[in-house]
Formats: sequence, structure tokens, C-alpha cells
Amino acid sequence: MHIYAFGSISRGDVSQDSDIDLLAIVKGYDARFNPEDFSIYSYKRIEEIWDEGNPFAWHLSLQSKPIFLSDEIDFLKNLGKPKPYMHCLRDCEKFLNLFCDARSSMLDNSVSLVFDLSTIFLSIRNIATCFSLGTSNRPDFSRSSALRLEAKSLQLPKDVYRIFEKARILSTRGRGEDLTSGEVETALKSLSSIHEWMTKLVTEARNERIC
Amino acid sequence: MSEFVNRMTVQRRVLQIVNRKKWEKEALFGLSGKAIERWLTINLIDPKNRLAILVKEISSKLFFLASKSQEQVSEDYRLLSEDVSNITERLEHEVNQIA
Repeated sequence: MHIYAFGSISRGDVSQDSDIDLLAIVKGYDARFNPEDFSIYSYKRIEEIWDEGNPFAWHLSLQSKPIFLSDEIDFLKNLGKPKPYMHCLRDCEKFLNLFCDARSSMLDNSVSLVFDLSTIFLSIRNIATCFSLGTSNRPDFSRSSALRLEAKSLQLPKDVYRIFEKARILSTRGRGEDLTSGEVETALKSLSSIHEWMTKLVTEARNERIC
Repeated sequence: MSEFVNRMTVQRRVLQIVNRKKWEKEALFGLSGKAIERWLTINLIDPKNRLAILVKEISSKLFFLASKSQEQVSEDYRLLSEDVSNITERLEHEVNQIA
């Protein structure tokens, strides 16, 4: 069994909203680990994602710290670098589709606005991470990845971005105050510019065949 | 990735069903254990309530699917997906009775 910390805590990028991301690598099913607290992977699957050049493999490779190594061997470090990331365009398109589904749900008088906004945050963050990994040598795995793409950053005021992030925290960690109707209204008004930004990233990935 | 998208779609469907009822204080925001606990507490819902049990059951199946999908055990995934689908139907019936 090998346990690693990754994400904000391993970057030192800590805030009151930070949670602690933990990875457990186990042999087969291990009931000791709650999947709400750990990302649980088998050794075989970790090797597969390394071989696929999966973004999560790159995240772990670049930003994880060992917490417990049952054999005192750093399993992830021994795997070396993952293969190059080859699916930037495919992944960017999938996160654009995820955004579109959530936006449609919101515009169809959704009764689950917080969940929809949370999904939009997930799609924004992940498309930016995949884009940065596929197109630059400085991949950004942080919650603010969309605001850190330099000239290609999402042009959204931080307080508006924060509304989506707040929804994500409510939906996943059950923490924070419910969104006000004003916040929902503000978020709704920003959807077209977010869609435009995501479409540009997809187009750029496709046209330049950079990924 | 498609399994990930499927899980998001299931979550949305479940939340649409549960939140069809206008809850006294807050809607259910997500299917994580912590979001469910918040919803139960703030709306004074008995955790032993049939609806609460069904929601928790779907949540645990979805999280289990998330870790199972990483194992790529497609048969297990298919069976569990059917389970989730059956529980969702029971949930819909339950909400229809109280909404």
C-alpha cells in the first residue's frame, strides 16, 4: 500500500477552502479506504494511466508527496515520467460538452442550480488544466488554472469566478453559505463569455494540432 | 472519461428528482456524503427516512463506481450501473409520493 498527498497541499497553495487530496494505491479492493476521502487506484491502473499520458498521471508525477510507503519504495517516483499527453483536444471537447450540458440544465429552469454551477466550475478548471498540459511546459493543476493561462486566460472578474468555485465547494464538501439569487444571476450572465472562451481553446487545440 | 460523464449525468438526474420537492431550507446540492449530511441537517430530515436512505445508497454506489471504473472492470461497472438505475426509479416513486 502506498499513500500520497497531492493537489493544493503539496503545492503549498493552501487557503481556508483547501481540502487535502489523498491518493491510495492498493492491491485490488481495499474497504479500509473511503472513496470520499481518497482517490483509490490499483497499481495496475496507475501504470496504465502513466502509459496513457493521462493528465492525472502528470499531476501525480509533478505534484505529489509520499505519506506512507509500505515497502519504503517511492512507487510513483520509480515509474519515471508519464508518456506525453496526447489527448488534449479530445479532453477539451469533453469538458466543453460537460459545460454545455450544465448550461442547458440551468436554462431549462433547473432545480439544482448549485450543482449545475459546480459542474461548470469543474469544466472550466479541467479544460484549462488539460489545455495548459497539452500546449505548454507549465501545466497548471490548481483551482485557478483558468485564470493563469496568460493571454488565453478566462476573462472573468475574480469575484464572479469565485461564485462558481463556491458552488463547487457547496456541492462536494457541503460547506459555505447557499448562493444568493444575485450570485446566481451574475453567474448566468457570464455563461456566454465562458462558452466563448472554452470554444476558443477547443478551436485552438484543433487548428494548431498542438495536442 | 465517458464513465465520468455518465456519473455526472446520473447525479444531475437524481438531484432533479430529489429537488422536485421544494425543501424547507435548502435543495440538495450534490451527492457527496457531506452535501447529503448538510441537506439532511438543515432541512431536519430524519436520516432513517426512506428517501434519505435511497439518496445515500445512490451516493455510495456512485462513489464506488468512480473507484471501480479506475479498475476498468466493465462487468462490475455494468451491474452497478443497473443498480443505480433501479434505485433511481425507486427514488422517483418516493419523491412523487411526498412532493
